[in-house]
Amino acid sequence: MTLLELDGVHTYYGESHILQGVDLTVEKGEVVALLGRNGVGKTTTFRSILQLTPPQEGSIRFREEELTGKDTYEVADAGIGWIPEDRRMFSRLSVEENIRAAVPNNASMSDALELAYETFPVLAERADQRAGDLSGGQQQMLAIARGLVGGNDILLVDEPSEGLAPKIVTDVGEALLSAAESVPILLVEQKLGLALDLADRFYVMDHGTIVDSGETSEVGVDDERLRRYLSA
Amino acid sequence: MTALTTAALGSVEASLAAGVSGVPLAVGDISNLFTSPTELASVFIEGLAKASLYLMIASGLTLTFGLMDVINFAHGAFTMYGAYIAGTAVLTVGVGSMGAVSSVGVFVLLIIGVFVLLALLGVVFEVALIRRLYEYPPIYMILLTFGISITMEELMRIIVDYWNVNSGREAVGWSIPREETVPEVLQGTFDVAGISIGGLHPFQILLGVLTVAGIWYFLNETRYGLFVRAGVEDDEMARALGINIKRTFTVVFAIGSGLAGAAGVMLMWSPLWRVNVPLALGVLLPAFVIVIVGGLGSFKGTVVASVLVGMLDALATWAFQVKVVTFTDVDQLLIFAILVVMLILQPRGLFGVEGQGDHG
Repeated sequence: MTLLELDGVHTYYGESHILQGVDLTVEKGEVVALLGRNGVGKTTTFRSILQLTPPQEGSIRFREEELTGKDTYEVADAGIGWIPEDRRMFSRLSVEENIRAAVPNNASMSDALELAYETFPVLAERADQRAGDLSGGQQQMLAIARGLVGGNDILLVDEPSEGLAPKIVTDVGEALLSAAESVPILLVEQKLGLALDLADRFYVMDHGTIVDSGETSEVGVDDERLRRYLSA
Repeated sequence: MTALTTAALGSVEASLAAGVSGVPLAVGDISNLFTSPTELASVFIEGLAKASLYLMIASGLTLTFGLMDVINFAHGAFTMYGAYIAGTAVLTVGVGSMGAVSSVGVFVLLIIGVFVLLALLGVVFEVALIRRLYEYPPIYMILLTFGISITMEELMRIIVDYWNVNSGREAVGWSIPREETVPEVLQGTFDVAGISIGGLHPFQILLGVLTVAGIWYFLNETRYGLFVRAGVEDDEMARALGINIKRTFTVVFAIGSGLAGAAGVMLMWSPLWRVNVPLALGVLLPAFVIVIVGGLGSFKGTVVASVLVGMLDALATWAFQVKVVTFTDVDQLLIFAILVVMLILQPRGLFGVEGQGDHG
């Protein structure tokens, strides 16, 4: 059974036709990278799946259940987690409150906090601090932690390395890799090396459609096949 | 008494005489406030009591307007309805002639009952009307809630006229014969260590403290409170974490409306407010001032601003009573002076949260 399936998805921002028929799938146990230049519709693909920007045409199925037309919180309840670009902390809430907000109503709070703090011990040290006071790397860890405790069956991870120091990028990459052992990931990542390291398969987007796809083992960072769609 | 204060008192007499002969503002001596600790304590306690009333008036609005960004002009109408419901109930039940325990018991039941009733009314308004306009520019919400307020006010006027509640009283509004309904135990003033305290004051202060504790607990210790604070900061992210923001906002609006009503129950015994239709507007303005002075999105700010306004109000009332100033309504003037000063010095208010209320 295919976990997540997008079929001919068209999405608009006002009059702008952003997604012009996106088809992609994510299977259980996979990490899939969504590659492409800025502005080709990668984040919009995530927003469409989450019904934050509902598609006007096409179908998005999660475990064969149609998501289009649902409310965003229902999409989240179905098991789709979002680790957005810019992290989007609740900056005025404490670190712990950020995690608590992400735990589903019927799940054990203590288990969730334990999972988050075991994965990222630095968050336990700063549990009572305002999330807005964390460093960029710590915020990214908190964003990933929120995705982990959400009881999700897939994570949509958007630009996790953006704006982070190289050392922190390595940490975040390792965190995602360990997360991927338990939950499939659809990943948007500008650092091609990191994306290819993490992912099993890739899709390349251009002008709102998927233009190429394959196994990451088939391609390298300098491959012309990818370069022509990724370099500015 | 020192020669200095004697001389000062002499000047009070002189200025009072000047006031009688037509000078509008007679600047007198305020030194006895500082030389008499009991006088100061009385004013302080009255200030706390007033602060509690202001807090109850503003606490609902700090949720609907301060947190949810709903410029809620119907807030005062909810308070007015709460006052009428409670006023009718105490007249019907005859609380004034009851014993101390049972009359206070009825009052507590009334607060709870009015809170529930108006919270339900709030749910109806939020689901049927308010919710549709969250995404629109604020002027739409202003017009909607203003319309709701006028409709509620005129409806109450019709009810009051039809059942002749006003008979033999003021043309507008229903000035409840307050002394009849106030439980005996809360009437008059009593002295503690030479400090004169109004009978209602400790009661009002207690309710104010309970209101602060209740709202603080809701916002900081309950799951819904967490959802509210998360949703207020970033509603998209909150929804993407599985939080039902629509339902959360309905709950918040319901609590805000219930609190507005509960404030009305409190006001019905206060000689300065009482039960009448114009109470809706009378409550609305100070409530907005307090929420804005405290800072949008900050409950702490609302509490501090309530205390500030309450204390200044008590001081101004005292100043009028001892004829330091000889015109009434100096308290009302002060409230808006605070607003003006705050908007000039710190437009975001005392504890305003960045981004809150920017409508960006």
